[in-house]
Amino acid sequence: MSSDQRSGAAPGRVSQMHGTVAQRTIKGLFTLLIAIAILFPVAWMAIAAFKSKTEVLRSPFQFFPDTWDPQNYVDMLQDDEFMRAMTVTFIGALVFTALSLLVNSLAAYAFARLDFRFKRFWWVYCITPMFVPMMAILLTSFMVVTKLGMLNTMAVLIIPGVASSLQMFFLRQFYLGHPAAIEEAALIDGANRWQIFWTIFLPQSKAPFVVVGCASFLAYWNAYVWPVLTITDPNLTQIMQVLGNFRSERGVEWGLLMAGSAIATLPTIILLLIFQRYIVSGVRMAGIK
Amino acid sequence: MTTADTRVAVEATPQAPGPRGRARRRTPRPSATPRHLQSDLTAYLMIAPMVVLLGIFVFWPLVYSFWLSLHSINFYLGNEWVGTQFYRYVLTDERFWDSIKVGVTYAVMVVPTGMVISLILAMFIKTLRGRTASVMKTVVYLPAVLSSVIAAILFAFMGQDAGLINAAIGVVGIEPIAWLNSPTFALPAVALAGVWLGLGVSTLILLSALNEIPESYYESAALDGASFLQQTWYITIPLLRNVFLFLLVTGFTLTIQEFQLPLIMTNGGPVGATKTPNLFIFDSFRENTPYSTSFSLAAALLLFLVLGAISLVIFRLLRSEKAIDA
Amino acid sequence: MSLRRRKLWSAAGAVVAASLVLSSCGGSGGDNEESDGKAHVIFWQQKFEDYQQEWFKQHVDDFNASQDEVEVEYVVVPAEAWQQKLKAAQAAGNQPDVATTNYGGIRPGAASGQFMPLDGLLPEDRFADIKDNVKEFVTVDDKHYAYPMLVEPSTVLYYRTDLAKAAGLDPDSPPTTWDELVSWAEALTDGKTKGMTIASTQGDLAWSSWGLQLNACGDFPLRGDWSSADATDPCYADLIDLYTRLYQGGFMPETPKVAYPDALPYGEGEVAMMANGSWAIGQLKNDFPDLVDKTAVAPFPSIDGDETKPTATLGGWTLTVDGKADDPEAAAAFIDYLVAGDPEIMADFFKMSGLSKYTVRTSVDEVLANDPKAKEDPFMQTISDQVVPYGMPEPAYPIDISNAMATAIESVMKGSASAEDALATANDAMDEIIEKQGLAGAGEG
Repeated sequence: MSSDQRSGAAPGRVSQMHGTVAQRTIKGLFTLLIAIAILFPVAWMAIAAFKSKTEVLRSPFQFFPDTWDPQNYVDMLQDDEFMRAMTVTFIGALVFTALSLLVNSLAAYAFARLDFRFKRFWWVYCITPMFVPMMAILLTSFMVVTKLGMLNTMAVLIIPGVASSLQMFFLRQFYLGHPAAIEEAALIDGANRWQIFWTIFLPQSKAPFVVVGCASFLAYWNAYVWPVLTITDPNLTQIMQVLGNFRSERGVEWGLLMAGSAIATLPTIILLLIFQRYIVSGVRMAGIK
Repeated sequence: MTTADTRVAVEATPQAPGPRGRARRRTPRPSATPRHLQSDLTAYLMIAPMVVLLGIFVFWPLVYSFWLSLHSINFYLGNEWVGTQFYRYVLTDERFWDSIKVGVTYAVMVVPTGMVISLILAMFIKTLRGRTASVMKTVVYLPAVLSSVIAAILFAFMGQDAGLINAAIGVVGIEPIAWLNSPTFALPAVALAGVWLGLGVSTLILLSALNEIPESYYESAALDGASFLQQTWYITIPLLRNVFLFLLVTGFTLTIQEFQLPLIMTNGGPVGATKTPNLFIFDSFRENTPYSTSFSLAAALLLFLVLGAISLVIFRLLRSEKAIDA
Repeated sequence: MSLRRRKLWSAAGAVVAASLVLSSCGGSGGDNEESDGKAHVIFWQQKFEDYQQEWFKQHVDDFNASQDEVEVEYVVVPAEAWQQKLKAAQAAGNQPDVATTNYGGIRPGAASGQFMPLDGLLPEDRFADIKDNVKEFVTVDDKHYAYPMLVEPSTVLYYRTDLAKAAGLDPDSPPTTWDELVSWAEALTDGKTKGMTIASTQGDLAWSSWGLQLNACGDFPLRGDWSSADATDPCYADLIDLYTRLYQGGFMPETPKVAYPDALPYGEGEVAMMANGSWAIGQLKNDFPDLVDKTAVAPFPSIDGDETKPTATLGGWTLTVDGKADDPEAAAAFIDYLVAGDPEIMADFFKMSGLSKYTVRTSVDEVLANDPKAKEDPFMQTISDQVVPYGMPEPAYPIDISNAMATAIESVMKGSASAEDALATANDAMDEIIEKQGLAGAGEG
């Protein structure tokens, strides 16, 4: 937290985590167990995509296909509509994530670190949307975006969801934990709040930004009902709309659905692989030093 | 909520154990008026984008929905003012209350379980180093990457008569169970999928929060001879209070609103055992009558009140616990 | 510091600019602009089997090419989001001019002004072409509010002839009574292979049991002018008993893998008999061609063996013109072209469906009568001669009523109530619905 506390820690004790060979073996086994438990359904999806349309739901349960046929994957990758939807949705999700991090972190900072008039009122105002069920405003928010002429644009997919109570709440909880000392020092040095936010808080927000950023990205990526309502232009069709086409009450294209879904998870996985390194120990320390 | 908010937050700020953290907790209050006004202006500018967006895309529709819900809605022949009639209809509908019960039970199954598992996972991953840590951070997040539609399909299939779960319990000699078609087991089966889906985000949140706790705390505690469990109980858990509050409040409000999983896995059945409030509202909405539009709108707005009330209780509970601590 | 601050704003600016650019990329379609002098008609089709989308797409294109007065914009809407999308659009005033509507939706839609009567918009002889029993499905107060496309019986019995033979049953004389059905199901249950599949969840039971409700009781639980419910009529307990015997006897899968209309478990050989709608024929022919030779179709058994009692309701789809359509004539011209005019176009639809749906127009029958495939199709003969003639219209009351009955059936099947209690509960629920939704007096009788 503060520099004097840090100096209290003798150097070298951090290595306590490493432990004996036995401990490491147990840890390794545990890691493997967790990975299997979590990955099983995902792996099943990816493997089921090698099966034929009707083989996927066959009983009794069968993990591997009779024959490994990559046709479903090939079909999806060669499907222009699918690939276009992937691209359009990916761009939309990136813009959406960037905008929402900006808007929500600013508000979060203000609620966490500043005193201002009617703060409680605005806090309640900003946090209330979390409790509003989607069905309560589905019709009327559609009326609003129609009035604003936003139908069949990227804006209608991006803008309405940018301000997120959930994300703001999370970032505020995070900012609350920041020690006040550095902020005070910066204020005394004559920095204003914007500078403090930009130079002190943002650089230290990498871990929470990665966490909520991924959540935002996914929320956009997995949205289904809202795009179905607002988008009919084939050039703007979103990925879940395309996947939704494989499902109907009278028979499901199981193989294609699984292949499409598996491919659709890739962008997020890649993004997370890139950004997960920011979720590490000692972020705060580095920022303070 | 109003009274709870800032205080909980300020008091729950993670501080060094021991008295010295207390003194330097608050930012200095601005003394002169111009500075105060300036601070107001800065704050307002900072929250302005959020306030405006929420105003347009949430509060305007919300107020309009409320206005509509006082009518018998007909988009062709015109709306007819009926006052609070539909609210009375919802409140006297047993199925609405049953669905709230199902929603709350579901949340009680999912949220605490999910939090405990996530905490254990996060604490475990924190001990990992290097490539294993990177891989595991990605692995735990994978469930969140699937759309809930696909997750629901996968779990529904695992819960089939000859599905994986029955095959697994068959190994230890338990008779197959109709997981998704028995009034007793359907909700837990859906909850299992819910926990699995939610693990990724909450583990990463807890992991990033754990990483915020300075290593020195554990070191001094270890010097004092505190065991791992004691360290967890006296250092980790209290310092994660901010995050727990977040996970509890958002966890409850989101899981009570779950409807994609039960819609696909059980369609609310059997005998309404998995009919969550939003699924109940969705089902009413699907009907092609003017009645159903108004009714589902009123039910959704009442659910909004219920969720707000539950969150208020959570905020209050955490605050009163603070009071006992102090 | 100020440099950094500038960076913040330029970053923010870039993001906003990017989103604005993106938003201007789209922005085409969706409105009724008539820059080309044509009348624009927006048509929403609820998504069904793939061949239906294919058929609609092709004939919409043909229609657009065939003349230069009307341009139809064709939108496929997923079934699960249909009602949300439609209601949202109605609220905002940009609903489609023409939409697919099922028979059950016509009465309530006509009552709430959702549809425009087609009389005067279509030539008179188009209505004369509709078969008499179907005509009443689309008629409210002597006006035609929809033009029908097809009917599909909701419940038909499919069974495996090879498995029946192996179990010592005679595949040429399928069960005709409910008791025989249960004993067939029992005889055909063999380890992992269950005797049959039929609806077992409330959502499926609500509508798929209509035909059997009529079979057991001769009527629906809301009768006459709908002023009170008759769900406690003991004949419904007989119906519940049929489902309960099949379910608790273990003659059907305990957990349904897919919804009632999906024939997958039968196709995969997990069950020997299947209650399903006629549409399942299409799925069997497409996905499980090997099974077609080993499958026979029969009318679903009747409670007492009386073949003239209804066992199925006739569901199906129509096209409707929206009550607020900008240009009803243009919308009607499209409907006339697609489903009411040239019988070849509809005949094409039935052929593409694998003859799993049934015609509603005499002229289309005549075209199909000359088609050798249609003449020889064994399934088609059985269903159109033995099922469709006794099929009844779906009830016009809100689905809530049917849900109440379905809950009663389901709770007895799964052992959470006795038939008597469950029906009493259903009756109370129906009376509550009648009161709240003001149904008394809305019935026809």
